[in-house]
Amino acid sequence: MSGREPRCQDQEVIGEAHGHALIGQAQEWAYRNQVPLNASIEITLRCNIRCLHCYNFDRDEPRAACDEPELSTEEIFRVMSELREAGCLFLLLTGGEILSHPDLFQLLDRARELNLSVQLLTNGTMLRPGIAARLASYENLQGVSVSLYGATAEVHDGVTQMPGSFRRTWEGVQRLRHVGVAVRLKFILMKQNAHEAEAMRAQAAERGFHYLIDLTITSRHDGTHGSLETRIDRSTLEQLYRGPLRDLGHRDAFEPTEESFPCNCARGNVAITATGDVQPCISVPWAAGNIREQPFAEIWRSSAVFQQIRSLKIADYTKCGPCDHRAYCARNRGAALTASGSYTGVDPFVCATAEIVHTLSDERAAESAARAAHEPPTGPQVRARLAVLR
Amino acid sequence: MAEESKPATLRRDPTLPFQRMDEDTIVVDPRTREVHLLNETGARIWELLETASSVDEVAEALEAEYEGAAPGAMRREVEAFLAELGGKGLLLPKGRA
Repeated sequence: MSGREPRCQDQEVIGEAHGHALIGQAQEWAYRNQVPLNASIEITLRCNIRCLHCYNFDRDEPRAACDEPELSTEEIFRVMSELREAGCLFLLLTGGEILSHPDLFQLLDRARELNLSVQLLTNGTMLRPGIAARLASYENLQGVSVSLYGATAEVHDGVTQMPGSFRRTWEGVQRLRHVGVAVRLKFILMKQNAHEAEAMRAQAAERGFHYLIDLTITSRHDGTHGSLETRIDRSTLEQLYRGPLRDLGHRDAFEPTEESFPCNCARGNVAITATGDVQPCISVPWAAGNIREQPFAEIWRSSAVFQQIRSLKIADYTKCGPCDHRAYCARNRGAALTASGSYTGVDPFVCATAEIVHTLSDERAAESAARAAHEPPTGPQVRARLAVLR
Repeated sequence: MAEESKPATLRRDPTLPFQRMDEDTIVVDPRTREVHLLNETGARIWELLETASSVDEVAEALEAEYEGAAPGAMRREVEAFLAELGGKGLLLPKGRA
């Protein structure tokens, strides 16, 4: 799998400074052998904030009455054991808001007993001092990812629709740091906070926090699309990539293999939703089965959905395969599926992003070449010229 | 009469995340932010250390499984490997095993 990088940003191991090569080796092994090394469990959909862009469901509307009940703690215990048995090492607990789950610490106890490395995703507002200290007592807690939606209370609280959430999130983040838990900030960039992109980065840098910037806004998994109203438009993205996010607006060309676009979905990655559906990734709402009806191992091994994903060839991606920008595209499967209804389809915003990144990468390469042409020749170049003159 | 002293036993830290990868085992230590890859023999020792074992017990188990090990050599290698694991903080401190 040389040159292949099947891990998504979200599946990076938070705070892991010294083991990148070995983790890469493990990921490669998982991909090759189809072992669910990375699993996410959505332990609840309950949340104490009502983010405008939430992909779960429209939090300004009452939940649909037909919703299945969420997994019980016992059911989550069982699926954790099944995941471990199938080869899981890295477990992400996500929500909803994980800290609103009444048995979160029992789940963490079980993960520790199972020797799972745990990462948590939270909005941080419920990280009271006692909670942070208790989290720090878990030797297997790899780190906590905390979502932020602005550099000011006005903007962040406008997104969460919860006054005081900006202050509470930052307090939570600082508490985690104080007790020695590795934290990664996750900035979700959207219309509401695009003008604060630079300030958000500066805030993280000044306070010494690792962060990532995520542009992923998709339709909701309840089939509604209101979340997309928070998405930045193409022109804003280009301005950001030419301005405050200049360092993120270009990349080395990354050609897919003949076989397929690299992705760890259904190979090294799996996700369990709050109602027990087994998905290739938490952002890809395509159920391969349900752990209430079938053992996990059976779904992982032989479900039609996973078999299909694993068998996809580049020719099956009819729009992406021939695309000129494919080597610069992040190909977000969740965005593609929710936008087009097909796993192999496309999301026009992702396509636009790839086009912008391609253009900017070419411009940058041309600038570098022009600079090099005007620079005085280096020693070897001078020697090479002398050799020609002789 | 003084009781005969038992040999010191060692045990892997039961809280550490790890996973078997074919013959190898990857061990993640979130406290130090380090990742360790144990080869086939190291992985077998890691397995044996699920329960508290002395150096002799581990060496004897390996000698029985790997043919042709020179007498004494296995024990020396096991001892060195366990010291390395201990140095990296992957074993329970002596007395807690």
